This record gives sequence, structure tokens and C-alpha cells, in this order.
Amino acid sequence: MPSLRSQSLELWNRKLHYYLGLYFLFFLWLFSITGLLLNHPQWRFTNYWQHRKETQFETPLQPRGPLSEMDRAREIMRELGLAGEIDWPAQKQPQDRLDFAVNRPGLLHRVSADLIQNRARISRIEVNAWGVMNMLHTFSGTRVTNPAASRDWTLTTFWVISMDAVAAGLLLMVFSSYYMWYRLKPKRRMGLIALTAGVVICAFFAVGLGWLR
Amino acid sequence: MFKSLYVWTRDLHLYIGLFVSPFLLTFAVSVFFLNHARPRVSAPSSTSAEVRSVRVPAGIEAAQGLERVQLAGEVISQLGLSGEINFIRAVPKESRLVIPVVKPGVEAVVDLHVKEGTAKVSVRKTTFWESLSYLHRSPGPHNAAICGNWVWTRAWQWLADATVYLVMFLSLSGIYLWAMLRAERTVGFILMITGALTLAGIAYAVIA
Repeated sequence: MPSLRSQSLELWNRKLHYYLGLYFLFFLWLFSITGLLLNHPQWRFTNYWQHRKETQFETPLQPRGPLSEMDRAREIMRELGLAGEIDWPAQKQPQDRLDFAVNRPGLLHRVSADLIQNRARISRIEVNAWGVMNMLHTFSGTRVTNPAASRDWTLTTFWVISMDAVAAGLLLMVFSSYYMWYRLKPKRRMGLIALTAGVVICAFFAVGLGWLR
Repeated sequence: MFKSLYVWTRDLHLYIGLFVSPFLLTFAVSVFFLNHARPRVSAPSSTSAEVRSVRVPAGIEAAQGLERVQLAGEVISQLGLSGEINFIRAVPKESRLVIPVVKPGVEAVVDLHVKEGTAKVSVRKTTFWESLSYLHRSPGPHNAAICGNWVWTRAWQWLADATVYLVMFLSLSGIYLWAMLRAERTVGFILMITGALTLAGIAYAVIA
């Protein structure tokens, strides 16, 4: 006969499992569907980049004194009314120019500023709803391929916290499911087979492929 | 009939959930690495070696896209490497091809001197977290024309897709199982709506 304490733990563990699942339901659907789309760039109906709207314009800039690249970029953004995550090119900037992008899901601005002439050429790229969804999946302000990239927009941080929360929620759901399964004695054997199959396949890809010649 | 549907759904939810759970853990844990880890600039565990008398397949310089990747595959297998070949950078003036090869646990770059038939091979062993983050991003949207040129990348793509479909099944069956619990309907519904509003609110703030 299970004790009151273990019954209570079991009850709250089950509640935690479906409460988390229900709270994060739409987040999970968003990241699942966009994950699928990111893995299939050849699917035409989601090919947002081909259907982007691109406009270009030039504008004079106010002359500024010596500023750091980041401060100057912020000044230019303020002058142009742009908001978003700053993305720097991987290459070093020449002294008389400042090139950067201002990104938010669905809207990208590429700014190319001539610091001698005090003029900026701006390329504005707008993408459709598929593009917005895809960009939400990867919008973290960091890039594996660009060590210089770091988060600099408060709303990016909010979005990253949301992604972290979904990941943490998913971890809790998985571990709560292990506990629920463990408590179901008649289901242990079949469950162990299913779990072992998943672990073996996943471990093969995460660890085994590294050893493969 | 109704009871049987409930029991079947509950059992499938349990077994499919257990099977897919390691994949979910992989994707969930790697989120923290992708969102917060600073990419490594230098490679402390890199090794490099020069290999002479490499048999360079004819026409590798002139070939494009997947054909070039297939020919590069012959070169990397001679060098004892395996993995997904990424975008190959050509340096025609020096008759060189720079071939990046990636797989979980290993990143390699083969600098092939076509005319001399020599290659400089740099290999870096990646950390476990980097492997998970690589799997999370693999195969991804880039280099669509050549992507999936390694059999295990294609297999992982199939598994990643399957994970999505199984998550959809788990969430829908989960909704059904929750809806059967009358006492939990109100709280669950409030949480579901709160979650939807949270997502809509944050996404709107970031997009608009």
C-alpha cells in the first residue's frame, strides 16, 4: 500500500506533466513545426526567402564625433528609427565605413554607412509569415559561426528566456513521465524496451558517429 | 469501444513518449548551449597533418554542387575521414579546394592541393555539448543543394522529422487524455490559454 506521501508525489507529478504540457503546447507546436521547415528548405510552399520584399534607400546621417562601433551603430539606428538585434559582419570593419544588420523576426535591415560622407545605404527586407516563424526558431542573438555575435536587444533576451523555459519545461515533462512510468509496474517491461530503443539510437548519433570511420 | 480507445491512446502515449524522450532531451538540452554558450574561437584539441600522394579524382575542380561533393567524398575517405561535407571553397589561382567535413564529435578541414596531390588535414574533436548542438541544427536550412550528402545525416534528418511527428501525436493524445479528466479541465484550459497568450504576447513584441 503506497504511503500518503508517495500518493501525493504521484498526483503532483502527474499534474505537473499535463499542466506543463498544456502551458507550453503552442510553444512546442511552433518549435516543432519550424524545426521541420528548417530541415526541409526544398519545400516550395515555405520558401519565404524567394518571396521576400526588398527595398533600398539612402539617407544622410548626422556627423558624429569618435564613438565605438556599437555606440555609432546605436546612434544610426536611433536616427533611422530602427529596432532589433544588431548583427555584425564576421570581417573587421574598415575605418571609414560601418556595416551591420538590424534583425528581428520578419524584418531585416542591412545598413552600410559611409562615415566620411555621412550617408547610409539601407536595404530593408521583409519576409512572409513562414519566414517570421522560421526566424523565431533561431532568434537568439548568438551564432555558432560568428564569435563576435552577442545579444544586444532586450526583446531578444525575453525571447531567449522563453526558449529556455520551453526547454526546461520539456526536460521536466520527460522526467515526470519517467516517474509515472516507473510507478506503473505492468508497463515497465514494454516501457523499458521503448526507452532502450530510443536511448540506443540517440546515443549512436550523439556519441557513436564520432568513432565511426 | 470508448474505453478501448482511451486505453490504447494512453498506452501509445506512454510507449511513444518513452521512445522519443532521448531525442527530446537532446533537443531540449542543446537549446541552452545554442542560446548561451560562446562559440569557441580556438581549438585546443586540434591536430593537423600533411598527407602526400592523395589520389585526386579527375574533374574535381571543374565539378559543381553535389558532383563536386561526391568527388570530394572519395578524397576524404582516402584520408580516413567520414562525415557531412559542407560548402567547398575553391581557390582556383592556387589550385586548392578547402573541404570542411563535420559529424558529431569531429570537425575536420581538408586543404587539398589538387595539382600536387597533397592535403593538409586539420581535425578538431568537439565536446559532447557541441555534438548535441550539431545534431540540433542538423541538417538545417543551409546549402540545400548539397545537404545530406552523408548517409547518417539523412538518417538523422529522418529521425528529427519523426520526432516532430511523434511530438504532434504526443501533444494531441495528451490533450485527449487531459480532456478525459473532468476535474482538471478548468485549470488545464486556463493554463493552455495563458500559454497561448504568453507566446502571442512575446512573439508580437519581438516581431512588431
